[in-house]
Amino acid sequence: MSATLYSLKMRASFSHSTQGSLKMNSTKNKSGTNLFLRLFTSVKLTIIILILLAIVSILGTIIPQQEGAVKFAQGLDPNTFRILKTLDLFDMYNSAWFRIIIGILALNLFVCSLDRLPATLKRYRKLPKPNRTRPFENITPAQTFQLNQIPQEPGIKIGTFLKKHFKNVSEKKEAGNHFFFGQKGNFSYFGVYIVHFSVLMILLGSLIGSIFGFEAFVNITEGEQISAVRLKKQMGSMALGFEVRCDKFTIDYYKNGAPKEYRSRLGFLVDGKELDQRDLLVNHPIKFRGITFYQASYGSHPGETICLKILRTGDKTWQTEKIIHQNLPSELPDNEGSFQVTKVKSDFFGMGPAALIEVKPTHDNTIHFWIFKHPEMAKARLPEAMYNSPKFNASGYTPYTFLFEELENRYYTGLQVNRDPGVPIVWTGCFLMIFGFFITFFTSHRRVWVLITKKKNKYIISVAGTASKNEVGLSRELLGVTNNLKKLFKDEA
Amino acid sequence: MTSPIILSYIIYIYFGAFMLYLCMLVMGKEVLGRLATYLMIPGFIGHSMAIILRWHESYKIGIGHAPLSNLYESLIFFSWTITLLYLLIEWRTKNRTLGAFATPLSFLTMAYASYSPNISSRIQPLIPALKSNWLITHVITCFFGYAAFAISFCLSIMFLLKQLDRKPGQNTFINIIPGSDILDELNYQMVVIGFFMLTLGIITGAVWAHSAWGTYWSWDPKETWSLITWFIYASVLHCRLVAGWRGKSIAILCFVGFVCVLFTYFGVNYLPGLHSYAKS
Repeated sequence: MSATLYSLKMRASFSHSTQGSLKMNSTKNKSGTNLFLRLFTSVKLTIIILILLAIVSILGTIIPQQEGAVKFAQGLDPNTFRILKTLDLFDMYNSAWFRIIIGILALNLFVCSLDRLPATLKRYRKLPKPNRTRPFENITPAQTFQLNQIPQEPGIKIGTFLKKHFKNVSEKKEAGNHFFFGQKGNFSYFGVYIVHFSVLMILLGSLIGSIFGFEAFVNITEGEQISAVRLKKQMGSMALGFEVRCDKFTIDYYKNGAPKEYRSRLGFLVDGKELDQRDLLVNHPIKFRGITFYQASYGSHPGETICLKILRTGDKTWQTEKIIHQNLPSELPDNEGSFQVTKVKSDFFGMGPAALIEVKPTHDNTIHFWIFKHPEMAKARLPEAMYNSPKFNASGYTPYTFLFEELENRYYTGLQVNRDPGVPIVWTGCFLMIFGFFITFFTSHRRVWVLITKKKNKYIISVAGTASKNEVGLSRELLGVTNNLKKLFKDEA
Repeated sequence: MTSPIILSYIIYIYFGAFMLYLCMLVMGKEVLGRLATYLMIPGFIGHSMAIILRWHESYKIGIGHAPLSNLYESLIFFSWTITLLYLLIEWRTKNRTLGAFATPLSFLTMAYASYSPNISSRIQPLIPALKSNWLITHVITCFFGYAAFAISFCLSIMFLLKQLDRKPGQNTFINIIPGSDILDELNYQMVVIGFFMLTLGIITGAVWAHSAWGTYWSWDPKETWSLITWFIYASVLHCRLVAGWRGKSIAILCFVGFVCVLFTYFGVNYLPGLHSYAKS
């Protein structure tokens, strides 16, 4: 990569001398202009900055950024870490030096465009004389034809035709020759200004976004509501000025188990009054009072209730299934005592959900033991404890066996919450960029001359032209003009 | 699902066409090139039909979506865009030498898609993030951009080969390649098309990201690499249009640019990021 850059610089400095003749004349040989202007009007700088941006951007894709950087940084030795940290390489796209490079690019764009604008305006306004003969020097036979009949004044018809299809039509009669000139597409010189302006606009939009906007996130558990969100960059929370409630979060799956749809039913409340209720899906954000909500993630907490099944040893017909709230005692049959669930873990040391049961017999000491939703998992992990320890004996209180059937889960939805007032400016910039590219690359300034020469009783009509680019397109256009002129007079005959 | 089977046959057709283009180049017999074209056209039609068939098949199994959603489908589409662009150039320029350089890209991409053990040719349902109207526009613009850059890469290689030739006029292989000026001009046109499409691709991607991820730009590795590619080709255009470079240096820059394109497409999969669905 550095070798390429080196050869680039060599070429850039080599070609600098030819630069003036190609597009811009204004900076040429101005020994009086200060270094600043000379530096920022040079395309060499643009190319070097573009390549430099390309190279440094690579760093940010190799070194994990922001949240990802934490884990990566832990594996580094302190010196490397210190160097990377000083250079802001863990958040390089937001670092001062990266912004300075972008700033230099923007300034370079601005100065270059301004510097070249007068020359472009001159080119745009310049109208050549209609009676130029040079364009006719190398025309093909297909660009000329004869009129045998003598219609009255072929010049009038040709003039109206040209006025219909071209701008700035002018004519001149001179020694038996009648010249016409017309042009179109001279605006194509401005395409490149539109593109450069659009780049500045996009940069401005992103700057406005980073100053006046915010990026935040919030998790809302089903059935609950929030009024503040956590900011991503600044650390800390921010009040929304309204409340958001999550009524329900659902996931749909395809048959193969891949997720099909994440949907959060959200309610928006102002001063406790619900103003809107909508479903939030991925790719379909919701905007409320200038703030946009995106479906970003989800998760679940163990809920308040679990479902237990209780069996009685030696009595196959007796069994009961109960939905039990945490810390609410339930009675055992025949006044034998009571029990309650005192703790619920959604994942007990990697062995799945577990609950701590407390049994208080009427005439005995209190017993505690853990029961597992997947006892087979626990038995595989801790066979010793599972078979021998009373702490893990689901039949710890004879004659009952407690089975953990279901843990009620409550989903929470993870929302990204943004406000970015720069977005409309960025989109306008993007639109202008496409428009500008189109003008720059796919339109050209075409100038057309038509010459009527009178020879005895005949008129010879020739068509010639020049184009700022796309010679193939020009010759096709000239042929089209010739054929249309032919048709014009054929109809009359 | 018959589309992957049809597509795996297309590889052989493209391979055959490549061999014919190559023989034409080595032996200098135009007739071989014409035969290659006669092979490419039905191959391309079959290729297009297979893509449409795959689209139809996805609806038949109830998870209908455009076949542009994973690595397999994108490779097949990439190959399709290269072939289309090549055939258009062949038709417009009436020159077949580019075929020997462009068709290998077509069949290698297809072969990689069909035979790599890591790439599944099954039609998979769309995950929520991909369910967007922007999917089709974004993928099509990006891949036409990539294809134009791929052709630009081929033209750059042809240009450099021609430059390497020490004794002009003696080697049929080199002679039959069009003149340096034509290659340079065509290369520039491909860069313009590629740059325009890449810009459209990045912008449609930004619009999509704005509604899917909440930000139009998040410096995800794929975004960053597409921007790197954009920087490289932006400098190619400035070098040519403003600084007036021609020929070899432009060819070398286009070569570097295409390496960046490949990295944007494949290399990024080895970096962590948000575009993970394009991996398998």
